[in-house]
Formats: sequence, C-alpha cells, structure tokens
Amino acid sequence: MLDVLETQGNAAGAGDRTISPAWTGLVRHLHITPRAFLPMRAMPEIKLIAGRGIEGDRYMIGREEGFYSHKPEEGRQVTLFEIETLVALKRDHNIELGPEEHRRNVTTVGVPLTHLVGRKFWLGETLLEATRLSIPCRHIEEITGKAIFDPLINRSGLNCRILQGGVVRIGDTMRNFQ
Amino acid sequence: MKAAPITTIKTIVEKIDDGGPDVKVFSLVDPDRWELPPFRPGAHIDLHLPGKVVRTYSLCNDPAENSRYVVAVKREPSGRGGSIRLHDDVRQGDTIGVSLPRGGLQLDNKVSRFTFVAGGIGVTPFLSAAAYLMRTGGADFRLHLMVRGEPPVAGLLAPLLQKGHVVIHNTVTAARPEVASLIGRTPSDEMVGCCGPQGMIEDFEQATRGWPDELVHIERFVPLARPLDPNEKPYTLVLSRSRLEVAVTAGQTMLAALIDAGIDIPASCCGGICGSCKVDWLQGEPVHRDRVLSPAERGKSLMVCVAGSATDRLILDL
Ligand code: FES
Repeated sequence: MLDVLETQGNAAGAGDRTISPAWTGLVRHLHITPRAFLPMRAMPEIKLIAGRGIEGDRYMIGREEGFYSHKPEEGRQVTLFEIETLVALKRDHNIELGPEEHRRNVTTVGVPLTHLVGRKFWLGETLLEATRLSIPCRHIEEITGKAIFDPLINRSGLNCRILQGGVVRIGDTMRNFQ
Repeated sequence: MKAAPITTIKTIVEKIDDGGPDVKVFSLVDPDRWELPPFRPGAHIDLHLPGKVVRTYSLCNDPAENSRYVVAVKREPSGRGGSIRLHDDVRQGDTIGVSLPRGGLQLDNKVSRFTFVAGGIGVTPFLSAAAYLMRTGGADFRLHLMVRGEPPVAGLLAPLLQKGHVVIHNTVTAARPEVASLIGRTPSDEMVGCCGPQGMIEDFEQATRGWPDELVHIERFVPLARPLDPNEKPYTLVLSRSRLEVAVTAGQTMLAALIDAGIDIPASCCGGICGSCKVDWLQGEPVHRDRVLSPAERGKSLMVCVAGSATDRLILDL
C-alpha cells in the first residue's frame, strides 16, 4: 500500500509543499472500466480522444455505460484524483483506499487539482481543461464496502474535457498550460 | 426520452449447463469478459429479469474466479415465476442485469472446522464457500446434503465428493438424519451453516440455540412471511437529507411508502432476508423485523422492506 501511495513528485513544488503556479506533477496510476459497477482496471497507458473521452472507458461520449451516463456531461471526458487524498484518508480516517477504488481515471501526485477548475493544463502530450470538481457518490460505498462518502466531500477529484488528445502513460508529467 | 440510470451490472449468459433434475446452471459474464465486482464465499446476487421481476440467487463458483457469476436455479412450478422465466425464456447470449454481490460467510476468522447442512438446491450458497475452502486449504469442512433421489448440481459437487468433503443423505433410501447429530456440540472452533426448507432450518435453529452468532449462518430461499401485527399504527418518516416527510399508513411497508413518495430504494426480496434495502436511521425507535442485520448493525440501520416504527416519527438518513 505504501508504495502505491508514494507522494513524492519529481520536480519543483512537490518537495517543498508550496503551491506554485509553476507546479509540476506526475501521473502515478491510470484506470478505466467499460461499464458501471465493474472494477477499474490498471492500465500502463490510456488513449484520450479530443472532445470525447478515453478509449474503452464508460464515460466516453457516445458509449454511455457509466453510472451517471443518464446525466450526460460534456465536461466529464476524463477524471483525475490526487494520490495525496488517499494518504489523507489513511492518516485521518484509517481507511485504506487503493487507486483502483476511487473510480477516477488518472491518479496524480504533486498537483493541486482543486485549484485547476476553469484552467487548462498538460497531461503528458494531451491538453485538458478542468470543468468542475467531482462530487462523491453513495454508490462508491456500495462498490468498495468502505465508508468514504463523507471523507471524500470536496476532494473527490476533477472532471476535465480533452482539448488535445493523445496517449497518456504512467510517469508522464503534468504542468500548467502557459 | 429520458435515459434511465444504470442500476445493474450488465451480464451476458455465457452458457447454460444442465444441473440435474429441474436445475439449470447459468454462467454470467461481462460482454467484454471484464472482471466482475468481487464477492465473498456464500454471497448472492439479484437477477433482474424481464417484467421487473427481481430474484436472488447464491453464487456457486469460487470467489477467485473473478470474471464469472455462476448461479444454479431450480425450476419451481409453484414458485413466484422467476425460476420459470429463467428456465423457459432465457437463452445463451441473452443479457441479464444483476446487482452487486451481497452477504456471504466470514470464513477468514479463527475457525478450524466448518459444517454445512443443506437440503436439495439449498446446497448452492455452500458451493462457493466449499470452493474457497478447498483452494485455501486452511480449514476442515464437511457439507451434509439431504436430497430426495438424485442430488442437484452433480458437476459442481464432483470435486468435493472426490475429496470426501460431501456426505449425501438420500432420504428416499435412508432415514433423514437429525440435524443435531450432524453438527458438533462444542461451539468453540466450529462454524455451522444451513440452507434448506423451513423445517430443516427450524431444526437447525433448535440445534444451535445458545451458539455464538458469529458461528452460525442461516440462508433462506423464501422470505419469511411478515407477521401481521394488530397493534400497527401509522407513523411519519422524516428524511433528513432530502427534507421530506413521508406518511406510512397502518400495515403499509416503509418501502412501499418511500417508493410511493418517489424515493428510489433498491429492493429485492422484500422480506428482510436479502439485505438490499438497508437504510440508516438517526432518531426514533425502529421495529426491526429483518433476518439480515446483526444486533450491532440494528443500532445504525434498518431494512425498509420489513421494518416499522415504535415512535410516531422516525428519522432516516435519506
Ligand atoms: S428487500 Fe431484501 S431485505 Fe429488504
């Protein structure tokens, strides 16, 4: 568990814990699932299609097999989650939640996701625009069997639209769009 | 048209095997053979059949087999119709929505011996438990199966029979053994489970009277008839999150009142045994009539399909 929760980024900002507009983060885990309720599968890389979503994921626009697909949302093409939240859940609530359990696609390290709403940023070679904060869902408690709804309020990740597609790999850098 | 929310796991009937007289064994998989949500030994799922028919069946395969749900269904001509639909209408390749798996046995505690007593198709919840125990090899177990004639699911029983884990009691050729004689007397390190007809369950309850709760597991196929209580009074549900009040009339179920008020509650057995309609309560005094919550869980939750209220108002976390 500790290994997957390693919170060290590789570059400026992650080490000194200051939030700087010049933050640089990393992609630590990638997950997709083709349909609602199914386990998320860890991927070495995922393919982002501009304006649509992730190849093979439930929320790819046109696929609509996710739990919230009856409420289509153009700004939910890819979702991100801070690994620092998983560390906090363990530290503050003694809940071990794995990166495959939060049900977002990209687990990041060293990125102040909540600060990015309305902004553009690079995720590897792809360009994203953060549309809104994700909100937790009771249904995740049912899937994981863990009481994580309340602790995830306000830190349940970030919804983004894909402006420029491409392949995202574990270890890719994330940085602000200048 | 407004798209409906996806509330079930989409599965495809991969194959249907013969499970002996009047029994079919259905293997359900994801359309892309993706992994399915995990389950505990002895867990069950709801099958959502055409016509809004929802039926609960035990999973029969090893929980380690993570991309398949296997259920064995006996055709019950005098049942409520779910098994007939499955037998007569469902074909290989059909799509069936299923629920997340629920329940099951806690097999990872300090128990060194398990004894399961089953009647006929009541063997199903113990098949996944047996597969798990065979694979992990940590504990000794024995399954006593009482049948009239040929046992069901012979194919699934074969590996267990071969290893001497199953004793079949054919009540056509021999007297039905006393349940008490099949289970141990010292409830220290032995866990016992039972699934079968009501008479067998009553004998089992009698034989395990005084045993610690965590060492006794009972699975029922049919919801218990809800006892009619002449003292039942109307009451009001207060829904704390949605800030609604819902009136429950005398004799009406909490579930029915909530559904009438447009609140979507997952429910399956509607008889307090399957565990799908659990809701947390905050204030008031619920009357619990389920057979699924432990005393400790009742301090926090109730099953809306059977629970009532001893107070005029009951506050729910909804
Ligand atoms: S619906 Fe099964 S316990 Fe309530």
